[in-house]
Amino acid sequence: MSLLAAEGLVKDFGGLRAIDDLSVSVDEGELVGVMGPNGAGKSTFFNCVSGVIKPDAGTVTLDGADVTGDPPESLAHRGLVRTFQNTRELETMTVRDNVRLAAPDQPGERTLPALLRSGSMQDHEKRVRERADELIETFELDHLADEYSSNLSGGQRKLLELARTLMLDPDVLMLDEPFAGVNPTLTREIADRIRDLNADGMTVVIIEHELETLTELVDRLVVLQQGRLLVEGDPEAVLSDERVIEAYLGGDAE
Amino acid sequence: MSALDRLPSGDGDRALIAGTLCLLVGGLFAVTPLQAQLPGALYVFVEVGITFVIFGMLVLGLDLQYGHTGLVNFGHVVFFAVGAYATAMLAAQDSFAGISLGYPWPLALLVGVIAAALLGLVVSATSIRLRDDFLAIVTLATAEIFHSVFVNFEGIFGGNVGILGVPRPIAAVAGDTDTRMIATILVIGGLTLITLAAVTRLTEAPYGRVLRAIRADELVTRSVGKSTIVYKTQAFVYGAALAGLAGGVFALYNGAVAPGFFTIQVTVTIWIGMLLGGAANHRAVLAGLAVIMGLRLVSRFGLSVTPVSGDVFAAFRLVVVGLILVAVIRFRPAGIWGDPQELGVDR
Repeated sequence: MSLLAAEGLVKDFGGLRAIDDLSVSVDEGELVGVMGPNGAGKSTFFNCVSGVIKPDAGTVTLDGADVTGDPPESLAHRGLVRTFQNTRELETMTVRDNVRLAAPDQPGERTLPALLRSGSMQDHEKRVRERADELIETFELDHLADEYSSNLSGGQRKLLELARTLMLDPDVLMLDEPFAGVNPTLTREIADRIRDLNADGMTVVIIEHELETLTELVDRLVVLQQGRLLVEGDPEAVLSDERVIEAYLGGDAE
Repeated sequence: MSALDRLPSGDGDRALIAGTLCLLVGGLFAVTPLQAQLPGALYVFVEVGITFVIFGMLVLGLDLQYGHTGLVNFGHVVFFAVGAYATAMLAAQDSFAGISLGYPWPLALLVGVIAAALLGLVVSATSIRLRDDFLAIVTLATAEIFHSVFVNFEGIFGGNVGILGVPRPIAAVAGDTDTRMIATILVIGGLTLITLAAVTRLTEAPYGRVLRAIRADELVTRSVGKSTIVYKTQAFVYGAALAGLAGGVFALYNGAVAPGFFTIQVTVTIWIGMLLGGAANHRAVLAGLAVIMGLRLVSRFGLSVTPVSGDVFAAFRLVVVGLILVAVIRFRPAGIWGDPQELGVDR
C-alpha cells in the first residue's frame, strides 16, 4: 500500500487550472522525483499535498488516513514535512535556533512549563540542543551556528532547511528544488545526504529542474505537464520517452 | 558547551527577586507605622515614576505582541481602559455617575484582568488571522469604539465624569502622603518587575522561540508543526491581560477613572517607547519608555522657564517627540538597544 497518495487533485487559480485530475502515489521507502516544464503544476501539487493550499477536488491520503486540506502543522505531526522552493529561513533567528525550533513535543513551548521553568522542559531542551548541534555538525554548519541565517549563502540555506526538517524526523520528506542555486559540489553533497536518508528508510519526494542529478538520484520519475500526469516510471525510460522530450522542447519541434 | 547553550536564567530571576523585594518593602511602608520622608522637589518625579511603572506593564505586554510575535496592535489602550473600568465599577462605592457595586478590590482587580483578557480573546478570535496592517486597523477601531462607548453610555460608565469613589488600598492604610507615594511606587513597581520576570521567562524558553519564528515567517513555523494561531492568540491575550492588570492597578491608585485617561495618546506613548528602546528586548522597551516619559518630565520644568504659553509649548513638545522618532527610524531602525539582525532591519 502506498504511504502517500493523491487522487484526482484539482486546483484552480481564477480561470487557470493549475492541476487537473492529478493522481500520484508514493510507496514507503521510495525516492520519487517530480519534474515538468515551468507551469506544469509541480509546486501547486506540493502545496496541495502539504496543506499550504486546499485542493478544489480530490483527496490526499497519508498512511491510509485522509488528510486532504489538513493544515501544515498537523501534517508535520503525522510525519510529512516539506521544504520551500525559495528557501524560507527564519532570517531573524540564528542557525541554532532555526534548527532547534523544529523539535517536536517540547513542553517548554507551552505557557506554564515556560513560566515555571519546569524540569521536564529543561531536560527536553537539553536533548533538543544536543540533537540540533548534531544535525548542524552533520551538515557542516557548525562554524555558522550562532550566525543569523540571513547571513548564509544560498547553498548553506538549503542545508539549513534540510537540517531543520530532519529535526522532526519525518516519514515523508518533500523537497521543493533542493538544488536550485546551489553550486555543483554542494549539489552532490545534498544529493548524497538525501540518498542516505532514503537508505535509512525515509520516503522522499523531490521537485527539481536539475535533471542530471535528479535522474541519478531517484527510483522513479513523475513528469507533469499542464497540471496532468504525463509519464511516470523508471528515470531512464521516462527521459527517453517521446512525450517528455516534446514537453520539454515544445510541441512544435517536429 | 559555551555559555550560550545554557538556559538563560539570570535576568528573569533577578527581576523576580527585585520585584518581590519591592512588594515586601512597599507593603511594609503601607501597613506598619513606618514612615517615609520625601523632599518636596521629588514629588513630581515619584508621580511620573508611578505612571511609568504602570505604563511599563503596558509596554511589556505590547512588546510580547509586537516585538516577539509581530502582531501590530494599535489599540492597546482599550485593554488598559477595560481593565480599569471593570475594576473601578466593581470596587467603587457611591460613584457620582455610572455603576458602582462596592465589591472588595482584590476581586475587582481580578475581574478587571479577566475582562481585558476576554476582550483580547474576542478580538483574536475575529481578527488574528488578518495580515499585520489589517489587524492594526481592527485594534485601532476597537479602541475608538470603546472610547465612545465609555463616553456615551453615561448610566453605566459615567460619561465624561467617569467612575469616582474607587477604593485606594494603599492610601487607605498608609499614614501620610509621603509614605503613601513611596509605598505606591514600590508596590506597583514590584508588580512591574514581576511582570518583567514572567515575560522574560516566557520569551527565553522555547515558547519565545516559537513566537519569534512566527514573527519571522508564519508559514515555515506552521510547516515545522507549530499551531501558529494558538500562539498568536495566546500572545495577544497575555498582552491584553497585562494591560488589564495595569488598568486595574491604575484605577486603584488613582481612585477614579474617566475617558480622558484612556485616549489614543496612551497607545502612542507606549509604541514610541517600544520603538525607541528596541522591540523584542524587554529591558530596552522599558528604557525607551523611560526616555520618552523623562522627556515629558523635563519639558514640564521647561515650561516654567520658557517665555511661551502652555499651548505653544505642548505643540513644541510634540514636534520634539516626532523628530526623535524620525531620527531613530532613520539612524537606528531597531531602536537604541535593539538588535538590527534580530529585527530584520539590517542593511
